[in-house]
Amino acid sequence: MAESALITVADVARELATQVTGGEALQTPVTGAQVCDLLSHVMARGREGQVWITIQTHPNIVAVAALARLSAIVLAHGMQPEEETVMRAEDEGIPLLLSEDSAYTLAGRLYLLGVR
Amino acid sequence: MGDAPLAYHEFPILGRAYFLGGRASTSVKRVLGEAGVDEGTIQRVAVACYEAEMNVVLHARSGYVAVSVYADRVELVVRDQGPGIEDVDLAMTPGWSSASEEARSLGFGAGMGLPNIKQHSDAMRVESTPGAGVCLLLTFQRGGTAHG
Repeated sequence: MAESALITVADVARELATQVTGGEALQTPVTGAQVCDLLSHVMARGREGQVWITIQTHPNIVAVAALARLSAIVLAHGMQPEEETVMRAEDEGIPLLLSEDSAYTLAGRLYLLGVR
Repeated sequence: MGDAPLAYHEFPILGRAYFLGGRASTSVKRVLGEAGVDEGTIQRVAVACYEAEMNVVLHARSGYVAVSVYADRVELVVRDQGPGIEDVDLAMTPGWSSASEEARSLGFGAGMGLPNIKQHSDAMRVESTPGAGVCLLLTFQRGGTAHG
């Protein structure tokens, strides 16, 4: 547990992301992760510090991440965020990590990284 | 209720403005923090407020959220001008939704909005006038926890 507590958004970004945009809170500890494209589910089940893997790209994902106090959003499958999404992510301090990998692969790599 | 709130704020909600959704809830969260409300209560209010706000965005023309902070509780009123809810009991069923295909493709309309609100609040009243709009009244006891 002591080891996993040391994983930060910056570690996840280095491991998974081809590009990082949006907010700059990269030193936030990562407490877990979830893979989901239904916003209500993330709002209800999201826990502080989690990384959220999704293929949704519209600005509302930033509102959900901020309200649920998630540490970062990972956009899977090469999905590109909308311009407004990046602006809101900057405002709210939520990092957006972009990856070509599938949500399935990203979840596996996060798990191996020690995010449990 | 009789007693005067320690703080009161209102924030407008624009119908159909998907990209603005969450703005009002973010403002509510901020004023609760400024009012010294505990983190757990803020989180419950934030979840319920976001779901209520998105219901207005997805279904109504316009609306607002009013937040009142009391010594022992937080109250939210979310009122909209829109089609109203025909059958409130049906709308409370987890998984039931009348959201458009467009909204669903964006990850809304999971049919969890009202159930999430009920779970995260301590008292919930839905006043619906079909063809006119909905008024949602929510109470959160400060220091309380989610239900179920």
